[in-house]
Order: sequence, then C-alpha cells, then structure tokens
Amino acid sequence: MKAHPKHLGRVAVLALALAAAAAHGAPPAGRLLASQCAQCHGTNGQAVAGMEKLAGESESEIYGELIKMKASIKPDEIMHRQAAGYSDAQIRLIARYFATGGRTTASTSTTSATTSVGSTAGTTSTTATRRKSHDD
Amino acid sequence: MFSHNRRKLLQASGAILAAGAMSSPLRAQTAAPRVVVIGGGFAGATVAKYVRLWNPKIQVTLIEPNPNHVSCILSNLVMTGALGMTDITLRYDNLRTKYGVNIVADRAVAIDPVGRKVSTQNGSQIAYDKLVLAPGIDFDAVPGLDSAVLPHAWQAGPQTLALKAQLQAVPSGGSFVMSIPLAPYRCPPGPYERACLLADSLLRNRRAGKVIVLDANPDVVAEAHTFHTAFSTTYAGVIEYHPSTEVTSVDWANKTINTNWGPIRADAANIIPRQKAGKLVAAAGLLGSAPGARWASVNPLSYESTLVPNVHVIGDSQGTGQPKSGHMANAQAKVCADALVRYFAGEAPDPAPMTNSACYSPITSKTASWLTVVFGYDAASGLMKPVPNTLAEAPTPTSGHYEDMFGWAKNLFADSFS
Repeated sequence: MKAHPKHLGRVAVLALALAAAAAHGAPPAGRLLASQCAQCHGTNGQAVAGMEKLAGESESEIYGELIKMKASIKPDEIMHRQAAGYSDAQIRLIARYFATGGRTTASTSTTSATTSVGSTAGTTSTTATRRKSHDD
Repeated sequence: MFSHNRRKLLQASGAILAAGAMSSPLRAQTAAPRVVVIGGGFAGATVAKYVRLWNPKIQVTLIEPNPNHVSCILSNLVMTGALGMTDITLRYDNLRTKYGVNIVADRAVAIDPVGRKVSTQNGSQIAYDKLVLAPGIDFDAVPGLDSAVLPHAWQAGPQTLALKAQLQAVPSGGSFVMSIPLAPYRCPPGPYERACLLADSLLRNRRAGKVIVLDANPDVVAEAHTFHTAFSTTYAGVIEYHPSTEVTSVDWANKTINTNWGPIRADAANIIPRQKAGKLVAAAGLLGSAPGARWASVNPLSYESTLVPNVHVIGDSQGTGQPKSGHMANAQAKVCADALVRYFAGEAPDPAPMTNSACYSPITSKTASWLTVVFGYDAASGLMKPVPNTLAEAPTPTSGHYEDMFGWAKNLFADSFS
C-alpha cells in the first residue's frame, strides 16, 4: 500500500495525542455519563444493595432497556424519568461503558465512542496500530 | 519513505508533549498534581474518591475536622426511632485505604488563592494546584434562637438526637411547631417529609396533638401533590400547614415562636433557619456579585469559581440553581472530578455534562414517595437546565418505594464514601 504522508501524519498524530492523553488520565468516552448512574446503581455499576447491578450487563441489554423506558414513560417508574433525560447517543455511550467495564477508547468527546476492548491505554495503542497499518 | 515519516512523527509527538509541558499549569513535571478538598460531606467525599479512582497519579487531600460524616439522608428516621445513629454514620476509612486519599483531621480557616494554600485551625499550611470547597451550608441568625436549645437538625449528628428529644417531649395533645425557610435550602422535600414523620410518630404513640408547619414559602416547595395529599388526608387534623409564614424571633423561655402573623405557643419546636453557603465561601470572595448573594458563583462545566481561579465549589454551597441534596452533591462532584482529571491532562472540561437528582422521602412509617429530575448543560445560557419530561414525583407513596429508599441510600452512601 502506498503511503500518503500527509494523511499518515494526521492520523498518527491524533493517535499519539490520544495515547498521551490516556497516559495523563483523560477519560474514556461515556465514563462521566455512566458515573451519574452510580448514585443508585453503585460505583462502576457494582450496586451494593437493592438496585440493579449494571456492571457486566451487555451493551444491547442496557441500551434496549433505557430506550424502551424513555419511549413509554410510566408515571410510577422513577427510572423512566431518568431514561428520558438522555439522548440515544448518550444512552449508547452509557451502555457501552458498563458493558465493557469502562474499557472504552480514550476520547475527549462524549459523542465519539469507538472500539471497546482491552485496557484504556491498550485500546488506544491498538487503534493507533490498526490505523497506521491501514494507512501504510 | 516510511521511516522518514516515522521520524517526523516522533518529532511531532515530542513537540506535542513539550508543548503540553510548557502550557501545563503544574509545577515541575515530576511532581504529582495536588488537589485539596475542604469538607467531607457527600460532595467532598465523592470528589476525593473519584479523582483518585480516575487518576491515582493525582494527590488528593481531604481536610475535615469530624472523624466521620453523619448523613442528613435518612436522619428523619433516626428522629422517629426507626433507625439508629450508626445507620447514618459514614466513615472516611475507605477513602484512605481503598483510594489513597490523604485525610487531614483539621478545620480549614482561610484560603490564599494567590499563594494557593489553605490555612488550618491547627496552624498547618496545605498547598494546592486545585482547591475544591464543599463546606455545605451555614445558617442565618434568628433573633432569640439558640440552635443548641431548639435544634434545626438540618446538619445531622447531635442535632438529630436533640430533635428526637424534642419529639419525645411533646405531651399528649401538645403542639409541635416546625418552620421551613425560604428556598433555596438543603433538601427541598426534607422539611415536609419531617412534618409527616412527626405527625406519624405522634399518632402511633397516641399523643396526637398538632404539628404546626410554618412555611416561609408561598406553597410546598417540592412534591406538592404528595405533601398536600398527606397533609389534608393522611394527617388531617394533625398537621396544620401555614404558607407564607416566616419566623421573626423566638422566645423559648415563654415557649413562643413569633411570626409575621403573630406569636404561636409550642410545647416543642424545630426551627430551620434560612441558609447560605458555608462560611469559607463568603470569606474567600466566592459569592456572586448580586446584592444579597448567598451561594458561590461557579461555571457548571467544572464548578470552578467565576471569581477566583483554581477554586471549585460543589454541593450545597454552589449556586447553579440545581437542588441542594446529597445525591446532587455526588453528581456535581463527579463532573468536577472529571474536569480536574482533564485539566491535569491539559484538556478542557466535558462540554455537555449531565447531573441528576433522585430521592426518596418517607411519608409514613411504612411508605415513601420519590422525586426525580435530570439536568443537562445548556450551552446557550451556560446553565444546567432540567431536561423536559424528567421532573416528576411518585403518583402515590407506597411500601415498595419505602423499600427502594434503602437501596438508594445504601448505594449513594457507598458511591460517595466507599
């Protein structure tokens, strides 16, 4: 594959910037949003008592439940009102964060979650590697 | 070609890191950034925990004179005897052992925002890169009122037990007067919840006289449907609700509460004065510029003061207009923690933070209601605004909600303190 120096530079710089940000503790996408569930559902979704544990549930399960709740709000369900507070894209980020135990790609934006495997730093370097080899 | 680009790339990345270092607000790059938190309630404990959880390279020091926090949440159930003090006493051990928060058992007395240090009562000087103030509330003085004699019980601890003693002192058929201050105050539904539980307790102990509620506000501030229904049906003949009634002075030697409508005799009383930001906030010049400002003016993206850089204010002392409660304080603390972690990574705060409020109020000894709302940042106004369709109260108090209340409280306690 023929190299496109300009393109390579831009992508690689972005990847390195992400890696640098991750090394300094920049948050993975969805982390702050998901943390707003923890008051009732426990830190990182590990509820200690009486409420649904979100950690370990699948992305589709959490996403599906929340989308359904906000689509048909029942007046006696507190969670339906909570679900109504978030956009579909925000719900996707929250669901992905809990499903992966927070191992989502480091990102400065709340609307640009990408892959979700490995540790924060590991994922970032995996993404960087894949993008580099693709461009090469 | 490839190696040439890689070399350029490495140079570029070096430049990025160097630029980051130069623009970094930190001291030497080798030193860990220092966050100092003043106040160990729900706001302060949560921000201390989450900064460490999200970036253990940041040093966090929590300055708090008390050995543990006594929660206002569920404290009305200690008043009735349903719970004991141990059920609402939250320790700081986990913040230290699990998260490595440095806890300083001392009282912060002054802030030097230029030298970036906090002075304590014991004479220490504690330096910071970022300071988070979470001092809770302070009270207006009410002429003739000594809260050591007539408790507000709006900060839990000895005041909670003093309130319990007031309740036990009501003679059969006697009157208990409680007052509600002008909003905004800590925990919007809290005073109405307390009125219900006072009435429930008197009824269950066959001492029912009157619970006379003096509300400085023109109407019930939160869960209007729930509390109007409770006052007019469940507790009809026991609770007397008087809106737009302000306590002007107290003459407890004569068991008299004076109001803008005239004096009221009482056998026992609970006077909750009007509230304002914790003492340090005004002393540090963090109040808004409006005359009579009571709360810290902050940017809701990071809770940084709009007046003094590198000082953040969260929880009841902040003035964004969001309700003042332990749950909300926890929510704001995470937005602040995230902004601090990003700051030390050289990044701007999340541009679209969300917070939410959810709380349960016991209405009788077996039922509870709930209240909830979700807030989102509105970029046009720079304010946190309620998201449409999210503000709601439970249609009716139920035993199921009463059970959920303990699940909510236990998780909120754990998310904030352990």
